[in-house]
Amino acid sequence: MADHEKHEIEPEDIEVLRRQVAEEHKMASLGRLLAGIVHEINTPIGSIFSNNQVALRSLEMLKNDLEHLTGETGAHARALVATCHSLAEVDKIACERIGNVIRGLKSFARADSDELHRVDVWEQVSGTLRLLQPEYGRRVVFENLVPPDLPRIECYPGKLNQALLNIIVNAAQAIEETGNVTISASASGDSIEIRIRDTGKGIPESVRDKIFHSGYTSKPAGQGTGLGLTLSKRIIVDLHGGELDFESSRGEGTTFRIQLPLKQKRP
Amino acid sequence: MESNGDKPIVVLVDDEEMVITSVRAYLALETDYRVEGFTDPEQAAGFITQRPYDVIVSDYLMPKMTGIQLLRQAKEAAPEASRILLTGHADKQSAIDAINDVALFQYIEKPWDNTQLLLAIQGGIERARLLRDLRDSMAELASANDSLKDVHRRLIKAFL
Repeated sequence: MADHEKHEIEPEDIEVLRRQVAEEHKMASLGRLLAGIVHEINTPIGSIFSNNQVALRSLEMLKNDLEHLTGETGAHARALVATCHSLAEVDKIACERIGNVIRGLKSFARADSDELHRVDVWEQVSGTLRLLQPEYGRRVVFENLVPPDLPRIECYPGKLNQALLNIIVNAAQAIEETGNVTISASASGDSIEIRIRDTGKGIPESVRDKIFHSGYTSKPAGQGTGLGLTLSKRIIVDLHGGELDFESSRGEGTTFRIQLPLKQKRP
Repeated sequence: MESNGDKPIVVLVDDEEMVITSVRAYLALETDYRVEGFTDPEQAAGFITQRPYDVIVSDYLMPKMTGIQLLRQAKEAAPEASRILLTGHADKQSAIDAINDVALFQYIEKPWDNTQLLLAIQGGIERARLLRDLRDSMAELASANDSLKDVHRRLIKAFL
């Protein structure tokens, strides 16, 4: 940045900066709100999980005890136990779904995101995808192909998740009807590369050099702030010393490539 | 595991009654442990400073005192008992910072997994009882040593 020439600040630049700061504040408040909600839900859902397991185990024991009971009463009691058992099985699946959402929110909205942590990329991507599933899951197939044994990377997890979320949302929005968003990653030397590939419409050549500019959006009003990719670039390049670029071909899709160092430089 | 034949005692502390009810029901189904549940950490502190127990499982954020403050008292009163923190608090850092402070045996996040919780409690009981046995054996050894010294002293006296 030091070799940049000094220039007059244009009013539009101030407006863009103001919007960037507002967006960052919004994301930080959202993170705190989510962390609070997760905390509030953890205890009751933990209780429900536990009770469900106890209920299922008890019903199995009761079923065994009722086996020798003959006559109409026995048949009736066995039918009631079978009904309760199948309801408890449904509750178990319902609990697992809630649990998945909670885990996604938890890894996304880490309250300690202002500190450096070593994180598992597969886990961060899974958490982010779980959050997007309800909105895009019906028309977009998300695939997490990040190898689970990829070395952990040192980063600001909340910020990095925000960047991943922005890029994956963009990928999902680039798909007009149905398609795939695939996230893969590999390690080489002291850095890793994460690739987010979509089968969407591709980025027109005329706008390729603008997509990281603040305020640029190709989406209808209300759908894009025009800040998502700018913030993602700032998080990856300025905050983590990484790289963010993309390759795109019309009608075939786009691949965003994030390169991140395994370790952060100490200030 | 049961060194002196009695049932292991597990102390559960959470300001939410539902956690105690759920964990108690699970432990009642799977084990023969005696469970002492408290929603008030001050009452729990009263219990652990006066009565024997094997494991304490405490929530982190509670009114009146945090789980770490309670576990610190637990460590002072019964260092050989095992301490487990069961927390739904998203900011782990403060809890992690305190781990060494109270020599935490296990850290479990909510929503908890019953199997994982049971393994932690079983491990905690085993550890507490081994430590207690070790302490008792060392006391016996020290007493035996004292008697030997006494015999030695009397032998020397008799011959001199």
